[in-house]
Parts: sequence; C-alpha cells; structure tokens
Amino acid sequence: MTQVDNTLNDIRRQGNATIVALSGEVDLHRTPAVHKTLVQACEQHPERLVVNLKDVSYMDSSGLGTLVEVFRRVNGYHGTLALCHLSTRVRSVFEITKLDRFFNIYATEEEALSA
Amino acid sequence: MSGMRVVPEESQKFVISVRQLAKLFADQQGRPVRVLDDITFDVYPGETLVVMGGSGCGKSTLLNCLIGELRPEEGGIFYQTRVMPQPINILDAREEQLNEVRKRFGILFQSGALFNSMTVAENIALPLKEHSYVDPSIIDIVVTLKLQQVHMLPHRDKMPAQLSGGQKKRAGLARATALDPEILFYDEPSAGLDPVTSAAIDELIIDLSKKLSVTSVVVTHEMDSAFRIADRMVMLDRGRVLRIGPRGEFERIRDTAPERLADEDERLIHQFLNGKTEGPLTDAAGMSEYEKWIVTG
Amino acid sequence: MSDAAPPSRTGRLTAAVTAFGQMGYNARHRFVRDVRYLGGVGYLVGDTLAWVVRALVFRRVKLGASALASQMVRVGVRSIPIVVLIQVFIGIILALQLAPTLEDYGSLEKVADIIGLAMFRELGPLLSAVVLSGFAGASIAAEIGAMVESEEIKALRAHALNPIRFLVVPRLLATVIMMVGLTVVADVVGVLGGLLTSWLVLDIHPWSYLDNTQVALFYRDFFTGLVKGGVFGVLIAAIACYEGLNVTGGAEGVGRATTSTVVKSIVALIATDCVFTAVFFIFKL
Repeated sequence: MTQVDNTLNDIRRQGNATIVALSGEVDLHRTPAVHKTLVQACEQHPERLVVNLKDVSYMDSSGLGTLVEVFRRVNGYHGTLALCHLSTRVRSVFEITKLDRFFNIYATEEEALSA
Repeated sequence: MSGMRVVPEESQKFVISVRQLAKLFADQQGRPVRVLDDITFDVYPGETLVVMGGSGCGKSTLLNCLIGELRPEEGGIFYQTRVMPQPINILDAREEQLNEVRKRFGILFQSGALFNSMTVAENIALPLKEHSYVDPSIIDIVVTLKLQQVHMLPHRDKMPAQLSGGQKKRAGLARATALDPEILFYDEPSAGLDPVTSAAIDELIIDLSKKLSVTSVVVTHEMDSAFRIADRMVMLDRGRVLRIGPRGEFERIRDTAPERLADEDERLIHQFLNGKTEGPLTDAAGMSEYEKWIVTG
Repeated sequence: MSDAAPPSRTGRLTAAVTAFGQMGYNARHRFVRDVRYLGGVGYLVGDTLAWVVRALVFRRVKLGASALASQMVRVGVRSIPIVVLIQVFIGIILALQLAPTLEDYGSLEKVADIIGLAMFRELGPLLSAVVLSGFAGASIAAEIGAMVESEEIKALRAHALNPIRFLVVPRLLATVIMMVGLTVVADVVGVLGGLLTSWLVLDIHPWSYLDNTQVALFYRDFFTGLVKGGVFGVLIAAIACYEGLNVTGGAEGVGRATTSTVVKSIVALIATDCVFTAVFFIFKL
C-alpha cells in the first residue's frame, strides 16, 4: 500500500507566537510526523502556539492524544496553546472526549492570535 | 450458486454488504446442514442495525462470518471503509487485506474478552502499540480518553479478574474503540447484565454511534435493548432473513394483534418480539419430528 | 447380552468378522486422526518458524523482546530447582547401580565415563524435557486453552493480531532457549551427583573422576545433547500450544488438554529421542 503524505505541516512565526498549520488526515499513520512538528515548534518556547486545523479533514484519537501531549508541554513552560478553524467533524471529536473544556478553541487564526 | 460472481450494486453507499451468504456445517452423520442460507442485506454508514432471532437461528454464525472468524461456503461479504473506498470481499481477501479490514472494525465480545494477563489500560493500549508507531506517551493519553468515554477511568490499572461483568464489557468497548473503528460489532451486549447496567451499555452504544458516526451491528435477543438502539432491524429464522426493515416496522408488528397481521412471517415475528409461548414459532418447532416419532417409533 | 440365547456357529463367525472389521475400521480412523494431529502440530511449528524468520531476517514485524523474556522466566526459571534435584538423584542412582558390575570387571573408575556419556548424550536433555513438559507444557496448554474459552484468541484475531505470532512464537522460542539452558545445567549437575557418590561411597577421588569424565567425553557428546534439547523444546511448546489452541468444551476441555499435553509430549519426546539416537548411531556422532 503506497501512501502519500498529505499532512503538509507549515510552521510560521508571527511576533511572539508560532503558528502551525496542519492539513490532511491526522490519523494513526500520520500522528508521529505531526507530533514531531509540534514538538519542534515548542522547542523555542513560543508564548503562544497556534495550531490551525483549517485543512484537517479527519482527526482520530491519536491526533487528539498528540494535541494533549503538546498542550502539557506548552503548559510546562507557561505558554498558551490555541486551536483554530475546527471543522464540525473535528470539533465533534473534541466534544465527545470533553476536551473542548480544556483547550482554547477559536474560530479564526486572528482570534487565536489576539485573544 | 457457488462460483457465481456476487457483487453489490455499484451506486449504493454501504459499509458492509452481505450477498447471498451461505454457511454449511456438518451434522453428526457428516451431512452438510445450511446454518445460513441466502443471507443478503446491506449496512449503511452511521446506522445501527440490530440482528435478532431465537437461539440457533444462525445470528452468532453470521457475526462470526462478518468478522472473518468463519468462512462461508457461498456468497460475499463486502467492506467499504474510509481507508478502503474500493469494496473488498473479505472472502477472497488475503490475510493481510483481511487484517486491514479488521483494523477498521471493533468488536465487543459477549464477556468482554479482555486479555486476562494485562491490566485494563494495557488491554486498550495493545492494538495501538501493535499497529502504529505512535509515541508511548501519546498512547497513554489515548487510553485515558477511551476509558473516560466508557466511565472506566478509576479502573485503569486493575486486572480483568477484579472487574464486574458490566465493567468488563465497558473495558472491552474501550478496547474495541481503541483504533477509532468505523464499524462496531456487538455480540449480545446486554447478556448477563442487570437491567440498569444493560441500559447503561445501550446508552453508550447510542452515544458512540451518534457522536462518532460509527456504523454498528448488534446481535442480540434482548428486545428492550434492541428497540432502544436500533435504526433498522433484521430478523433471522432458521438461517434465513425473515424480515429486514426500519425499527418502526417492527414496532408496528409488535403492537398489532396477531390475527390482524398480514402473514405467517409477521405472526412469527410478533410472537418473538412479544416473547409469547404460543404462536407459529413454537408450533412449528419439533412438532413434525414429534409426530413422526409417535407414529413410526 | 448374557440373557440372549447362545449364538449359533455362523452367528459367532459373523460376530468375529464384524468385530475384526470394526477393529480395522477403528485403526484406520485412529490412524487418520493421528496423522491429522501430527500434521496440525507440524503446521504450527512451520508457521511459527515462518514468523521468526520474518521477524529476525526481514525485520518486518515486531516480535516483542519483553514477551520473550517473561515467557523464559515463566517457562524455565521455576523448573531449574526440580531439574537440579532430579539430575543429582539420577547421578547418584547411576553411580550406585553401575558400581557392583564395574567392580566385577575391575574397572570401577569407568563409572565416570558411563555417567558422563549417559548424562550428556541422553539423560540430561531427556529428563529435563520430561520435567519441562510437566511444568511448562501443561501450564502453556492450560493458559492458551483458557484464552480460547474466554474468546481472547478470537479477540486477538479481531484486532488483526495473529495468535501464532503473538502467543506461540514467544512461548516456543522461550521453551527452546530454556530447554538448551536446562540441558547444560542438567549435564553439570548429573555429573556432580555421580562425582559426589563416587567420592563418598566408592572412594574415587574427585580429580580422577573429573579426569576420567574429560577423557571419555568429546565435544560432539555435548553438542548432540544440546541439539536434542533444542528439538525437545520445540516439541513441548508445539504440542502444548496446539492442544491449548484446540480446546473445546469449557473448563473440562482445558483440563483434558493439559493432561493430553503431558502424555503426548512424553511419548513424542521418547520417540524423537529414539530416532535421534538411531541417526547419531548410524552417522557415528
């Protein structure tokens, strides 16, 4: 089975914030790569780490687990993790696990940056 | 029938498609007996299909065929999932292909079937550990998420032997959902549970299917539970599909007086759904055998 | 039967022929069943080896070193004391049994040669294997049988985990490794038992005993013993796993599988030992 890596992970810096844009399907096969990217973004200890999920069409529990792990890291250095642009499908995954109560979730990237 | 190519209709969007399935077992004298015969139905995305029927009607055999545990002699079982948009007939799939399908479904076994040598958390972590290269710290988080969903977080580090029947089933459900399956099979989910625990399990089933839009196939003979969770129902009788339809149709048959039902099949279903001792189901059962025995000895 | 009228001559003849035919039929039936059993065990071993090759050579599947380690502890470590005990006794018994005859021939010191050969070539691997089949074989069969009964095997397959790879491979490898290890232990301990008896009872000095043993034994005696030990390990684990995987009929079935594992293992061990010995004899090994 040949698989094309459709998670193009794009990292940008904007002021004291780092924005990571994920895309594609964040599932079991892809989470190791996503985790690596996010850990990399954490390394410079940005005050605010924004994860843009605009182009994420599907996320499974391992994707959620990865975000929780990163959430712990960011909290560890007293930064803030913000998520934005959740599709309804991805949002429902957060709701079932009641993780929407812990994460800062915003509609747009601007809101996530300014809040 | 064998050798004929059975293919589901192109246009239909199904998750599982069962076509003209037949399963034969040998009886005591070694003669083949059709335990399942000409079973055809589809399961659509996101729905909950309840398979019911009396003991020995073939519903467990059907489940075992669906999960690749038994090999039917005739027909086809097609799966169509997110990662496999092209329908795969698991009856001519290689072991590796079958395993790819298996990773897309989860099963809640009758007794939970937890691995007794592992803790609850290790049970749930096992499929993740074996089938992915996800970091152990993340697997740990996923296990917590799954346990939370079935309200089993306090029992995380217990061994299966320390759990009650209901807890085992909930832990089994957590393990079945470990890989975020698209399809969940339930084998008698309320068997051996008290009414309250059984209702709680039903609620979980509904919850998971609605929120995760998981397709569910539930094999049961508990009617209360069946009517609580079903979108559609299938009634099996002596290895054949007697009736398949939306829950409403079965509710109508259940609530109509037998003399006003259309045919013998409906009266049989009526009897089964209401758990009555008198009706076509019990009239037919063994009567001819009995007569033969009395008359000819 | 006893109430029936005495059978006529022809009746008796028919009965005899029928009984004979039945015997033949039963024998055929049993033969088919036995061949099927051997085939099943053989297939299991082949499948297991294929997984081992896939894991070690192609590195395509995870094998689980921790599973192997825990199985080795469970299979082998607990049986070490028993093996030590038994082999010391065997050493003592052999020394005492051999002494009178050898003394008649005036070559009492040969006791060391015979015990050494017997231990390294035969009794070390064989008796360790018998102990292990009672210890590990029975417990593996019971464990896997219980797993079949509680649908755990079905659950493994449903999670796309192959039971052979997941359960049989670590148990078989662990049994083989521990069997080879136990053979070495048994060899040493057995010789030690003989040495102590010879020293304390037969008045043979330990140094001369060891000297004799060393002269009598070749490396090939040691290695043929090890090869036997390894093969015995395969047999024990394969029979135990096969019996366990084919359990039917609840707790009673598990009990039956356990007993049958021990009985069949011992028969298989001794039969295989016989074949080995014959082959070694022919090729002068």
